[in-house]
Amino acid sequence: MKKVLAMILAGGRGERLYPLTRDRAKPAVPFGGIYRIIDFTLSNCLNSDIRRIYALTQYRSTSLHRHIQLGWNILSAPLGEFIGVIPAQQRIDEQWYQGTADAIYQNIYTLQHERPDVVLILSGDHIYKMDYRTMIAFHLEKGAGLTVATLRMDRKYCQEFGVIEIDEGWRIIGFQEKPEEPRTIPGDPEGILASMGVYVFDTEVLVRGLIEDARSESTHDFGRDIIPRLIRNERVFAFDFKQGDRGGKGYWRDVGTIDAYYEANMDLISVTPQLNLYDPQWPILTYQPPYPPAKTVHVEAGRVGTALNSIISNGCIISGGNVRRSILSPNVRIHSYAEVEDSIFLEGVDVGRYAKIRRTIIDKEVQIPEGTEIGYHLEEDAKRFTVTGSGMVVVPKWMKL
Amino acid sequence: MKEKILVVEDEEGLRLLYEEELKAEGYEILTAQNGREAIQQLEENKPDLIILDIVMPVMDGMEALGRIVGKDRKIPVILNTSYPGYRDDFMSWAADAYVTKSIDLTELKNKVRDLLEKKKVR
Repeated sequence: MKKVLAMILAGGRGERLYPLTRDRAKPAVPFGGIYRIIDFTLSNCLNSDIRRIYALTQYRSTSLHRHIQLGWNILSAPLGEFIGVIPAQQRIDEQWYQGTADAIYQNIYTLQHERPDVVLILSGDHIYKMDYRTMIAFHLEKGAGLTVATLRMDRKYCQEFGVIEIDEGWRIIGFQEKPEEPRTIPGDPEGILASMGVYVFDTEVLVRGLIEDARSESTHDFGRDIIPRLIRNERVFAFDFKQGDRGGKGYWRDVGTIDAYYEANMDLISVTPQLNLYDPQWPILTYQPPYPPAKTVHVEAGRVGTALNSIISNGCIISGGNVRRSILSPNVRIHSYAEVEDSIFLEGVDVGRYAKIRRTIIDKEVQIPEGTEIGYHLEEDAKRFTVTGSGMVVVPKWMKL
Repeated sequence: MKEKILVVEDEEGLRLLYEEELKAEGYEILTAQNGREAIQQLEENKPDLIILDIVMPVMDGMEALGRIVGKDRKIPVILNTSYPGYRDDFMSWAADAYVTKSIDLTELKNKVRDLLEKKKVR
């Protein structure tokens, strides 16, 4: 059994998710009622029997630190298992991380200390279910120095991804960052292979690659700099996500924008979501505060506490209000005669009587006063809140209304 | 113009030896007694190559190496130590050469010449 160390890049600023990322790094953004985005990657690790994990943080990391400390303190140190959080600490150089590769290079002493056989580099930004063991087995079987997990996409999405070019035997022969004219998959002219930001490296290949990169003119990015340099001298392979996909539907999301975040959340309230959270063989773990169960109260004419086609987390009370097609994180209150549709409310949101809210994401602990309307008059809303091109409204954390 | 070599070495005797021998080869020599002084020299006097001891007080050579390549990623660095075991340290791989200390300076001089040649080609 090879010694595997996972390094999760959890420093993403997630600027296109603003204002959800005003107070927290992207991996710490709440998702699906009770989760944080990083829970999916961490759960994948544990479900793949990988129990030596470091998360590398940088910007706005307090919330992420707290979540991992509270929810993920579940491994056994005496057995050599750990989930460690490493903030950017300028161990090598007097700068913050310059790119994904630099983040690992700056932690070269951690690699030295652990001396793994292979290093699994992950992003804390993505939502998917994957058995990393199948990828590591593929890497070893191919005798690869580096293996990159890839996902087939329609070629029209090429400008959103790093596109991997392969030969017939899945050996990587080229890399294009968000190209206009992508190299398609051999035998599949409408398909491209997108990099998922998941890498398996032989430790020595990684370290030598990082050092060479650190000593070159470079943006210090795995996709743009490390892969193109390594494909010249090393055996570098693409791994087909389908072989390791534990959801079985090719589900992988980089919830990089407010609209993508909203769609990925809303998928969960469909009858059969693409992302199955109910697989007992692949549990998604998280931290939940000890709130009591959710409940609905009041049944009288015109004042019925109801929630339909919605996710209702612990601690919520639907008190004579009406919720449809929405996701409520823990401890949300919906007061009498309030109407909520197609919305996402994070922990501690309180919606006053007669309020009407639709297509709105409300961040934590916002009190919505009685009779407030949000999502009905976008021009008015845009004066106070973030409104996206598709008409989603976002109310930032702690906003006073 | 003479090429400038920065010799980073805490032991005075060795430092003087390197200085004399390398001057005889036609180089201009700068010296530093530890990693911290080395970084100061790098910033103030822009050497063309650094010969770097590892075990030194104040700041050791391995620590200095990371900072040096962070400030000037192209500068050739030769790690020069009595201890071959540091070759296993990942950070030592950031050096352009690793020369074990010896009274015979032939290997060191050859490396210096090679790396300065390479630097010109680059």
